[in-house]
This record gives sequence, C-alpha cells and structure tokens, in this order.
Amino acid sequence: MSAAIARLRTAAWLGWQVESNWADPFVFVVYSVSRPLAMAFILTGMYWAVRGTAVHEHAFLGFYVANAFHNFVTTVLVGMGWIVVEEREEYETLKYVYASPVGIFTYLLGRSSVKLALATISTLLTLAVGWFALGLRWDWSATRWAPLALALPLGLLACVFLGFLIAGWGLLLPRAAMAVNEGVALALYLLCGVIFPIDLLPRAIAVFSFALPFTYWYEALRRFLLGSGSSALLGAWSDATLLAALALSTLVFVLVSRWGYFALEREARRRGRLDQTTLF
Amino acid sequence: MSAGLMMGEPGAPALAPRPLRTFRDELALNLRAVYARLYVRIVGSLREPVWIVSDAIFPNLGMCAFVLLYRALGAPREYEALAVIGGILSTYWINVLWGMGAQLYWEKQQGQLQLYFVAPCSRMSILTGMALGGVLMTTLRSLAGIAIGFLVFRIQLAPFHPGTLLVVFVVTMLALYALGMTFSSLFLLYGREAWHVSNALQEPVYFISGLYFPIRTLGPLAAVAAGLVPLTLGVDALRQVLLGEGARGFLPVAAETAILAGFAAAFLVLARVALTHLEALSKREGRLTQRWQ
Repeated sequence: MSAAIARLRTAAWLGWQVESNWADPFVFVVYSVSRPLAMAFILTGMYWAVRGTAVHEHAFLGFYVANAFHNFVTTVLVGMGWIVVEEREEYETLKYVYASPVGIFTYLLGRSSVKLALATISTLLTLAVGWFALGLRWDWSATRWAPLALALPLGLLACVFLGFLIAGWGLLLPRAAMAVNEGVALALYLLCGVIFPIDLLPRAIAVFSFALPFTYWYEALRRFLLGSGSSALLGAWSDATLLAALALSTLVFVLVSRWGYFALEREARRRGRLDQTTLF
Repeated sequence: MSAGLMMGEPGAPALAPRPLRTFRDELALNLRAVYARLYVRIVGSLREPVWIVSDAIFPNLGMCAFVLLYRALGAPREYEALAVIGGILSTYWINVLWGMGAQLYWEKQQGQLQLYFVAPCSRMSILTGMALGGVLMTTLRSLAGIAIGFLVFRIQLAPFHPGTLLVVFVVTMLALYALGMTFSSLFLLYGREAWHVSNALQEPVYFISGLYFPIRTLGPLAAVAAGLVPLTLGVDALRQVLLGEGARGFLPVAAETAILAGFAAAFLVLARVALTHLEALSKREGRLTQRWQ
C-alpha cells in the first residue's frame, strides 16, 4: 500500500514538473487560469449583450456556475488524453513510463491529481470572479449541502475514469489522438447542457445526453448549489432520482472506463502503437 | 584545374563570375516557393481525414452551444446569427494560431525547419504559401459551419453586396494571416512555450474579439480590444455587412476595413523584421534546430 502511494506521489510530482517547469510560477498561474476565465467572460459578454431584451435572463447564473465546474472536464478528463499525446509524441517518453515500476495506469492517476488541483483552482477562481466582479451571486440559504456533497465527488470520479478511457483511446489512435481530445471536450460541452438546458437539444442527440453522468452532474450542481436546475425534463425528477441517476451512470462509466482502458492499452501494445510517433 | 595549382593562385584559371539572379528570377523563384508550400498545405490537409473532420466539425460544436445559450436566455433571434458568424470565423483564428503561428514549431519538432533556412527562396514566400493554403482550406471547412447556421439554426441574413463582403473578407484575412506570420517568427525562438502561447490565445482572443457577442457590449474596452487583435474589427465588419443593423456594429464598415488594411501592412512589415531578427537570434543561441525544449 505504501509503495503504491509512493508511486502515485512520484507520478504526481513528475506531472507537476512537466505541467509547470516551462515558465516561472506567475506566468504559469496566469496561463492556467486565462482560458477558463476567458470562457466565463465570453458567457458574461453574451449575457450583458442580451440583458434587458432576453426573456429568461435569470437562468444565466445556472449556466455560469455549470461552466465553472466544466473546468474539471476540460482539465482532468481531456487533460488525461493530452498526457498520452505529450508523452508519446512530443517527449517520446511513453515507452519509458510504460516500462518503469510506476506503470502507466498509476502514472496517469498521479498526473490526473495535478490536473484535479489545477481545475479546482480554475473553478474556484471563475466562481469568485463571477461573484465579486460580475455580480453573479446566489442565495446561500437555498444551497442544500448534503446532496451537493454527494454529487460533487461523483462527477469528479466520472471525470477521472472517463479520462482513462480517453487516454486509452489515445494510445490506440496515435495520429488522431489530438483531434479526439479536442472533440471530446467540445462534444461534452454541447451534449451535457453546460450552458443551456438539454431540453433544447434534438431528441436524437438528447438520448446521448442521458447516457452521460455529466448531464446529471451539472443539473445536480445547479439544483443543490443554487436551489433550482435549468432543465424542465430533469426538473420533474426528485432529488433522490437525480442523485441515483448520477451515481448509476458514474458507476457504469467507472467500470466501463477501467475495463476499456486496459483493453485499449493491450490492443495498442499488440499493434505496436505505444511508442509510435506521428506528429512531431 | 591545372595540375598543382589551386583556384585563385597566380597562374590558375580565373573563377567564372557567378551569374546574378535578376529580379524576374527572384520573383519566379519565390512564386514557386509560395506555390510549393500552398500545395503541401492543401494536399497534406486532404490526406488527413481526421483533421478535416476535426477542423470542420469541432469549432462548430462550440458555436452550437453558444447559439443554444442565446436560445435558452430567450434572446432575440439575430443574436443567434451573430454567434454563428463568430463561430465560423473562429475556425480562421484557430488556423492562424496552429497552422501559421505554431507551424514553424511543428517543423522544428519534425526536424525539417533547417530545410526552410537553407532553401534559396525568401522565408516570407514560404509563410505566404502557408497562409494562402490555410485560408483556402479553412474556407472549405467553414462550409460546415455555414450549413449548420442555415440548415439547423435557420439564421437570416440582411440583403448585402457580395463585392463589399469579398473586400471586407479579403482585408480581414490579410490582417489575420499577417499576424500569423508574425507569430510564426516569434515561435522560432521558443519550444514548449509556443504551444502554450497558442493555447492561451484561443478563448481570451474569442472574448476580446467579441466572437459571440457584439463587441460594443464591452463599452470602452471594445476600443482597446479593436486595437489589439484584427479579428475584433474583422468579425464586426463582416457581421455588419451580413446582418445590417442587427449586427450592432462598433465602427462604420469603411473605417473598420481601412484599419484592418493598416493592420495587414503593419503586421507584414513586422513579420519580415521579426523573422530576420529572430532567425539570427535563434541561430546565435543555438535554438533553431533544438527539440524537446
């Protein structure tokens, strides 16, 4: 057990060095938060543009908050896919990681912990900027802490494990891995109803939304943090049903992703893709 | 060579004078270089189906989300058209960043940057070919965004003059890709930083360009934004041509076009100066062919 923790800590330390040692700490912090903050500002710009003419402008707060938490998806989930691209294509070190005692699964887990920390900072900063600078505030008395405390880690768990699946996919598809990473980030932004209720999606696309834990996660975060969700479809569900859907879909994703990652890794090894460089 | 005599020694035959290349030869050489780089960009792009799909589809997923945000807020319909135009133009910005700015970084990583520097043509002609190919391929890919805008979101355009649209579009592209050329020269010097700078210039530039909302929403900050990135004025001018009053324009189209032309000229000069300076600096510091920085 202590050996496993030591390996995890080593992977996290190495991950931190890889993530941050190209710049001094100040530049790195600015770089890390610039994209999430800019995204929050874009949404706020859109809101300001239609303020006074939009019919449902009160709904914006829920979208802003969900967008802040989407940092976990873009940083952790998609970031794990990027680890494979960086290690294999850019630094050409994936084969050494694979052969090292740490092992690639533990290495990915260690590096995901660094990304989790960075995403937490970005999310908190986005919420703080919204609260203090943009006037996007909510009534804390409407917050339901117990279900929120249940929902939050479930979504984070789904992020990490789906990240393994994306990383496994990246191992198998050397040339296409970058496109897969970008595509997954954008597809999840659209499918999970981060900045709009999924009710607006065409029925054929909404089917995919219901299969994703993040759809329930964003709705649960809005409902339990702000007091109300944004989807009329999910709004008809009780708190227990929503949490159960989130827990069940997360469990399925954890199991499928763990199994899927190892299956993809085996297949990548069989096809000789683990050290195949195609981009640089 | 005569036996025992070296070139230049007394008694040795005189060196034949090296024929000078005329202006016409130089022009022909550089035009061939432009064509060659354009060809590589187009054929290379077409040989990579994954990139065709990713470049054509992915930027539009974000655009769809922004259109649906306006719909969720119950905003007037013209805002959806505004976001669609912004989404389509975001594909050009992505191409400027990754296909122009970071291109020499990719070449460095692939170990072929030095080939550009030993070639007899001007580096600017290589960058011009890259830019022309980039505009062409991105325009083809932006058809997907146009199709989504018209067929899925049913956006409505105001009556417009195609000639005006063409002029504004060409000037916008000139300014954007001239900026891309400047970026690429800057990135000669850098390694991983180039990657991170490109990454960091995506969403922040979307914001200060007002890609998804009228830039005048930002009030006084709009003028600052317009002075920083040509995309701001380009998006605003194109929206005004296509949407008329619904675009909620920042400056008159003629003024924005003139400023964009100024940007284009300034960035072209800057790119040339920066390329020469940074090439020398990279060589001096031994970074020109350095990988894994």
